[in-house]
Amino acid sequence: MDVVEVEGLGKTYPKGTVALRDVSFRIAKGEVFCLLGRNGAGKTTLLRILATQLRPTTGHARVLGHDVQREPRAIRPRIAVVPQEARPQMMLSAWDHVRLMCMIRGMSKEDAHRRARAVMEEFELWEHKDKLSADLSGGLQQRVLLAMAFTADPEVLFLDEPTIGLDPLGRRQVWSMVRRLTSEGVTVLLTTHYMDEAEKLADRLAIVHQGALAFLGTVDEAKALAGTGMRVIVEPAKANGGERQVLNPKSDGEILGIVQRSLVQGDRVTFQPPTLEDAFIKLVGGTIDG
Amino acid sequence: MGRTKILRQAWYIGLLDSLPLLRDPMLLVVLSLIAFLPVFFLYLFSPEGGAALPALVGAIVLTLAFIGLFAAQSVYFYKHWFRFQDMFVASPVSPIAYTLGLSMSTLFSSSPAVVLALVALYWAVPAGAIAVLATLAVSALLWLSMVFAGFAIGSSIKNTRRANSIPQVLGFVIGFLPPVYYPLSILPPSVQPLALLVPSTHAAQLAKHYFGLLPSPLTEGEILFGWTYLVAFTVAMALLVARKARWVDP
Repeated sequence: MDVVEVEGLGKTYPKGTVALRDVSFRIAKGEVFCLLGRNGAGKTTLLRILATQLRPTTGHARVLGHDVQREPRAIRPRIAVVPQEARPQMMLSAWDHVRLMCMIRGMSKEDAHRRARAVMEEFELWEHKDKLSADLSGGLQQRVLLAMAFTADPEVLFLDEPTIGLDPLGRRQVWSMVRRLTSEGVTVLLTTHYMDEAEKLADRLAIVHQGALAFLGTVDEAKALAGTGMRVIVEPAKANGGERQVLNPKSDGEILGIVQRSLVQGDRVTFQPPTLEDAFIKLVGGTIDG
Repeated sequence: MGRTKILRQAWYIGLLDSLPLLRDPMLLVVLSLIAFLPVFFLYLFSPEGGAALPALVGAIVLTLAFIGLFAAQSVYFYKHWFRFQDMFVASPVSPIAYTLGLSMSTLFSSSPAVVLALVALYWAVPAGAIAVLATLAVSALLWLSMVFAGFAIGSSIKNTRRANSIPQVLGFVIGFLPPVYYPLSILPPSVQPLALLVPSTHAAQLAKHYFGLLPSPLTEGEILFGWTYLVAFTVAMALLVARKARWVDP
């Protein structure tokens, strides 16, 4: 069953900026779907339309079977969002944020207490519960925001660059939370700048470039676009001198030639499989900012 | 959505917004001082402190108006800084509950000062329940119009500096320039119509009238005009908000 259906979606902002053009895709239940793209590519615009925060100009989008424009109220209780660059209130504690969010979403005091505690323990926030957000590190602040969204028990979770500012452990924690959610049938749509994040998490991904979809498919399908894919790194032996070379051979014969030459000269050869970044650069023709 | 659910959501949004203030009584005192400072100086410098009581009425009216205007900051910061508005849009929260919540939070933080001042005023001028109720009513109308103005400002501005400075400048324009702390009759006759364009002038005149603190009482026509002007201004601000504030971005 498709939880998100997007058909010919376009968005032109009131001042004339075209942010999205004719975007179509579907996301199945329980999938992690990543939106990759450079700054200003249209990822956040797309996410905000699907989260019923922004009106599209053309096309249609349905979330959980309901049209985002005509039936947003049927969608909203079943989704949650962590917006890009959101921040907790500095003079409120982590506990205030998470518990009040539960109550704002309609839980009773007792349920809110239970749910907030469970999520905070899961996010390893419980020991920091009474600290003001101002006294928390950037990573912990981000975890507070994620906890606010996770308390909602959403069917679809929208995460706009959720791991910015997190340390490697914090990022892995979010990834495992996302994986746990999807194993329970939750669908996750996330935008990210981190290629490794997309590689680790995405069941499928879309690369957005200048408002249009430049690619739609799995991570492996994206990598296949990067050519034969194998990158060969030759590090000359000290006696030979010379510089380290990164080669992108176009055929198996070329790879064999490089290996033979290196063996004869005593150079060190290592192979690097294609990365998502290679595919991204090939499709978008540049690197990701930020 | 049921009314109880909306009120419950509004209450918790109000708490989310006002808890930092409520937990720091010093901040509450500072906020109250802004409106009550002129009363202190008028008490010191007017003959036998006679100008202090009318000024106290003005301060009561203005405390709510000032704090109402500061809804602009909440609206701006919730939308552009904390981004809580986006979190609430993608949730069962209704826009009415959100608006009500942020408005109520301004009341949470200003009520202690207003209640204390009203008690002091009533102790000095026991003018009866009607005077107290009428003062509360004009204050509430002015507060509501300023909350609406705050929402319109907060929804329109796009940078943090403006979010902080515009309410302060407007606070000065509606509070300290017009005859709120001092009598309208002090102004030259040619300037008086200009002062009557400012809603806080009407609110202060009416409240002082009900407490019997004007040099000469208002006529029935002036009372009717004052109330009509306040209601009309509030409706105009509500219309402005309906035009400017957006739950879902266009």
